Amino acid sequence: MTDAAMGNVAVLLSIGRHPVSGRSRRAATDAQALEMALALRPRRLTAIHAGPAADAEALRAYLGMGLERLTLLVLPEGADPVEALITHLRHLAPSLVLTGRQAEDGESSGMLPYLIARGLDAAIVPDVVRIGPADTPDATYGKADLVQALPRGQRRALTVTGRLIATVHPSAPPARASAFGPARRGVIEPVAAQAAADLFLSDCEHRPWRPKPKLMRVKRGGSALDRLKAATESKSGKGQLLINPTAEAGALAIYDNLVEQGILP
Amino acid sequence: MTSPQIRHRVDPRAERAARTILTGQRPRLLRQPVATATVNERRRDPRAIRDAALVQRQPRPRYDWARDAASAGTTAAVGVAVANAPVIPLQVIAEPAYLVLAMLDRPGGEVSEHDRQVIAAARLLADAGGGAVVTVATGSGEALAEAGSDRHVALPDGWADDYVPERRAAAAAALMASLSPRHILFPDSPDGGDLARRVAAAAGERLFAGVQSLGPDRATRQSAGGSLETGHRPTRLMTVAADAFAPLDGVRHEARPLDLATPVVAGEEVLPRLGCARRLAVDPDALSLSETDFILSAGNGVTDWQSFAELGEALGATRAGSRVVCDAGHLPRERQVGASGTVVSARCYLAFGIAGAPQHLQGITGVKHVIAINTDLHAEMIKRADLSIVADAQEIMPALIRLIRERRHD
Repeated sequence: MTDAAMGNVAVLLSIGRHPVSGRSRRAATDAQALEMALALRPRRLTAIHAGPAADAEALRAYLGMGLERLTLLVLPEGADPVEALITHLRHLAPSLVLTGRQAEDGESSGMLPYLIARGLDAAIVPDVVRIGPADTPDATYGKADLVQALPRGQRRALTVTGRLIATVHPSAPPARASAFGPARRGVIEPVAAQAAADLFLSDCEHRPWRPKPKLMRVKRGGSALDRLKAATESKSGKGQLLINPTAEAGALAIYDNLVEQGILP
Repeated sequence: MTSPQIRHRVDPRAERAARTILTGQRPRLLRQPVATATVNERRRDPRAIRDAALVQRQPRPRYDWARDAASAGTTAAVGVAVANAPVIPLQVIAEPAYLVLAMLDRPGGEVSEHDRQVIAAARLLADAGGGAVVTVATGSGEALAEAGSDRHVALPDGWADDYVPERRAAAAAALMASLSPRHILFPDSPDGGDLARRVAAAAGERLFAGVQSLGPDRATRQSAGGSLETGHRPTRLMTVAADAFAPLDGVRHEARPLDLATPVVAGEEVLPRLGCARRLAVDPDALSLSETDFILSAGNGVTDWQSFAELGEALGATRAGSRVVCDAGHLPRERQVGASGTVVSARCYLAFGIAGAPQHLQGITGVKHVIAINTDLHAEMIKRADLSIVADAQEIMPALIRLIRERRHD
């Protein structure tokens, strides 16, 4: 493993929110991002959180995963953390920035990694599950091999050149448990940062989310008989029926059907 | 007061004499012609109704009483009646006041359910002020006409298969500059959401992600991990959450190609940082049943488990079974399909020896294509399947394995 490619790694950590109790905790995919970064064994690993200083206690769960120190960019409540993070990361110049896909609290629009990639002029790859330096023979400095998660359990391999920002998919390796002792011993270093207030977010109106009824596919038009049939009958295939074919004929019918459906090549 | 209508006096004897044919052995009467003008509209003519409902005369008469009277005139033809589909009027927006762009995923070339929902959301915004919906996707726009697309911009066909998100984002930004649409909507799917965020970051605009409800002056989304509803005026860039809007039904729009001053090749000069994208082979048995695409399922009719395992490997399908099979210990419990197991949504479901208990059929309601092999012609599974084969699973499985290996070596 060439250390040069993954020498300097930064992890952006946010404060999560338990979906039921609403308590602060470590965010699930951010913890997986930290796990991925720890597994890479980089020469320099910087963990950064941007937010109000009052939330610092929830960050100790990340320290309990084996971090010694964590940088806290102290911002006023309701400020936009993007500019402060870009300024800080420019100063650090990491070759790889890992973070979760979407915050569990706040706006959770999933825009932050993209805005930071824009600010640092880096490539962005979403939904990464595995990351490592390129193992091709012509592997040069700053090339990385990634595996990306796709819907329906599929995977895609990618090669990325240059500085990289990756967001981590929930099916990445699970985060290690947080230990109490290291969490107490770890150091949170506050750094003062400048940030402007987020005007868009204060312009929005917020109210508690109420679950909406599930969308049902209602067929309109047609006769009453058609609508009744559509609502009550399950889909029944109007397909081919072969009665007692020879084994070969049956197998051929299945094979042709699968090829027609695009399942088999 | 008497009505002004003059009532014709009927002379039955004269009418009868006019219809009588005297040639032949004995006098015959012609069938009485139905004089439509003189018939009272409110009077029911059971013979005419019966004639109108007749759809097939041979080999035995068949009547369809549910048909409407308008199509009754064409019933004389012998054979299967053609169901008359109601013609959906074409909606044309010739001079749109503004444009709403819908950037579709179109995975694998077909219009997905989520794509239709995005078009439905775009229609909400467009119909409020006489705007037009412009869909942007690879492939032609014909399939999108009934989803509600007014104009279509076709991306180059080569873009469908390879993964170069930077190029798509550059094309979207170019369209945004040239058409200056009022809103741009993306599906909030992994690929669509990625594209939307790239475009928003490049344009420096705010993205309203995962829209749950939409009106001309208010859009809402979930925030703070799903605990809050955030509302705002519809912004320029939005992504539409899955299953938040009902796809349109019973509409027909033009979906005609939009004539652009410059073709959409803006992305070609972008030097992509991501490269060598290729799909990795995934072990099908490692996938969970709810996310796999192709399931090979066994029921009580399967006794040859060796062949079943080999067939699963040859097909590259995820193995599953009915409750009986999992109870007997032939397959682990998490491989059970049905109401008490997993409700699957695979694209193809190949069932060997499954009769189709209601609980099992409940588990496969989301499956698109079902192939069933069973010895019982009257099994429920045979009725549900798109291809049904009445045969013994133990004979078909080895034959199918042989066939696949044969074709693979060719």
